[in-house]
Amino acid sequence: MEEYRKSMAPQIKELKFTLRRIKRSPLSIVGIVIIIGFSCIALLAPVLAPPVYTDPMTIWRDSFKNEPRPPGSPVLATDIGLLAMEKGYTVHLWGTAAGSYDIYYGCIWGTITAFRIGLVVTAVALIIGLIIGMISGYYGGVVDELMMRFTDIIFAFPGLVLCMALVVALPFSISLDLSLFVFAAIIFIGVAVIGTFVLKISGGLSVLTGFICSVVFVILDLYVLHRPPLWAYSIPLTRLDKSLIALTIVGWPGYARLIRGEVLRIKIEDYVEASKAVGCSDLRIMFRHILPNSLYPILITASLDIGGIVLLAAALSFLGLGADAGYADWGQMISFARNFVSVTMKYWYTFFIPGLFIFLFVLGWNLLGDAFRDILDPTLRRR
Amino acid sequence: MGLGAYIIRRLLLVIPTIIGVTILIFGVTMILSPETRAMIYISDIRQMRAIPDIIRMYGLADPPHVQYFRWMQQVLTGNLGWGVTDNAPVLTSILRRLPSTIEIVLPSIPIIILVGIYFGVKSAVHQDRPLDHITRFWAIFGWSLPTFWLAIMLLAIFYGWLGWFPPGVNGMPLGSQAVQYVTSGQWTRYTGLYTIDGLLNGQPWITADALKHLVLPTMSLTIIQVALIIRVMRSSMLETLGKNYIITAKAKGLKNSEVINRHARRNALIPVATIAGMLTAGLLTGVIITETIYNIEGLGRWAAKAATGGFGGGTVDIPAVLGFSMFTCLVYVFANLIVDVLYAYLDPRIRLG
Repeated sequence: MEEYRKSMAPQIKELKFTLRRIKRSPLSIVGIVIIIGFSCIALLAPVLAPPVYTDPMTIWRDSFKNEPRPPGSPVLATDIGLLAMEKGYTVHLWGTAAGSYDIYYGCIWGTITAFRIGLVVTAVALIIGLIIGMISGYYGGVVDELMMRFTDIIFAFPGLVLCMALVVALPFSISLDLSLFVFAAIIFIGVAVIGTFVLKISGGLSVLTGFICSVVFVILDLYVLHRPPLWAYSIPLTRLDKSLIALTIVGWPGYARLIRGEVLRIKIEDYVEASKAVGCSDLRIMFRHILPNSLYPILITASLDIGGIVLLAAALSFLGLGADAGYADWGQMISFARNFVSVTMKYWYTFFIPGLFIFLFVLGWNLLGDAFRDILDPTLRRR
Repeated sequence: MGLGAYIIRRLLLVIPTIIGVTILIFGVTMILSPETRAMIYISDIRQMRAIPDIIRMYGLADPPHVQYFRWMQQVLTGNLGWGVTDNAPVLTSILRRLPSTIEIVLPSIPIIILVGIYFGVKSAVHQDRPLDHITRFWAIFGWSLPTFWLAIMLLAIFYGWLGWFPPGVNGMPLGSQAVQYVTSGQWTRYTGLYTIDGLLNGQPWITADALKHLVLPTMSLTIIQVALIIRVMRSSMLETLGKNYIITAKAKGLKNSEVINRHARRNALIPVATIAGMLTAGLLTGVIITETIYNIEGLGRWAAKAATGGFGGGTVDIPAVLGFSMFTCLVYVFANLIVDVLYAYLDPRIRLG
């Protein structure tokens, strides 16, 4: 135990230093408070705004009238209105948007959507970027060249434009032949195993060869063989899923570039050479030696990106390319307001309140990311 | 390597990117089924029966690479397809709508750059004093603002409440009186920019009217983008101020303003040049939102309408979306090219290395 405590001492010291830095920077505290606040709203959503419909993500409305009603207006005694009164709604706390959607309900449940968009897109983009950036940076050569040229192409689009094109093009259901994946997996695993254990090539190289073989197989199967599907399966996509996919496709190249750069920087370090000399496998070097050392810059970028992704998603929703009409989503709630704002300030609550939610959410992540950068980045923290 | 050779090398590198972009754009349309793509060619529900014929006629079910080369041939001859949104060829739409977009974007650029650099430098020089706090506050708040929210709020305040700057009428950045004049026979369209055409037509009141209508769109583009420049300029200036040659300059007794303006600021400007690419992307995206809110029929509003089926749930105008993506891509790639060349010019180490 004593031994362990001694060995952990530097980590504990660093952690204390980090906490002290956080306490000293007021902006980072504001960021943390905002994000904790939003997390509470998301977790307590069923208590703060009890669902009226069976699907809690649908904003309830007590009529179909287009005229927004100001905060504090009584709930109408329609079918849904009575249902809402049973759940404890007597007034529209923050008024209603065009189409009589309850703004309070939409804002509270929209928090869940915002977290979902921000975290899911960032996490998936990060994983894809991690795998591709690692392979690209570690092996270099033709693979690297091809992958980086591909990221170049995605970077050649402004994010919103590519997202728009993708959302428009993605179908509402993806039909897949699952047998294709089974075959591809068999080829991948087969080549990797034969390469490693029979031919005794290095593990990483066999995995890579297996990967390339299965990709070649998929391309051949799709465009040349034209075999009938053995195990057809179709995945339905909601409009929200479509925008999530589009945002992920736009997001991953940034991480791939970043991680590739980190790998290039770290792979020439002495300890990587040393682990190679000891005979560590490529995968072990990548995930045990290189990845932990490049984690901080990646996490900082990711936390800064969550805000950006939520902004992009909100812009898509505002244009009408986001979730279905009536889905609890802040960007969409502002688009309900679009027809009224050009007329008067009378309906300020229809755009001001949901917009404030987006703004604070993004601000929270940006402050947090900034604080992380100043505090965690070893080149900046001791200044 | 001389600057000329560098430019040529950089130009050659653009070619594969553009080819890749066309493949990606085309690949995106390939996600759609041949039936959906055939829908573009029909204007009436009664023509639905003709869809198999259309697919055969235009070869929409051919292998992807065959379709790609056919499409490229069309694109290279300037045929980007027919857009339902405007009921006109896509290229015509782009050329007709471009001036309205330029009218918003062009005045924003110098404002963004000058204001951003000014406040970035001020902020760094007055580090940790009130001016710095205010500027940093603006930088981080501006970066968190949704463009559409800012645009709507500006409209609500300056039009809905104060009544100063109204949104456009009939998709033009003009009041109804000016629109009447512009659509009458007396108006000649020289450049498509209402501010300049007003003067050329000898109608300065139209120029004044157009300027009044351009204030809000320009403001909503600048407030957010300035934040980016301020952030970069501030951190780059802080870094430069810590360099040894600045200390030398101070030690030899130069005035503080001289040190900042002649030694520090020039060198701190280099990283800002790299941000110009991001600025272009921000403006291209911002235009989609601002034009939609301020009711200006430029490229952005066209793209938004095309992608959503005219806000009414109509069919998606695929050729228009593709045409717009391709156009923004070209603008973006060439903006980045210019930035790189500028960067190499400012910092000779780049082209030598």
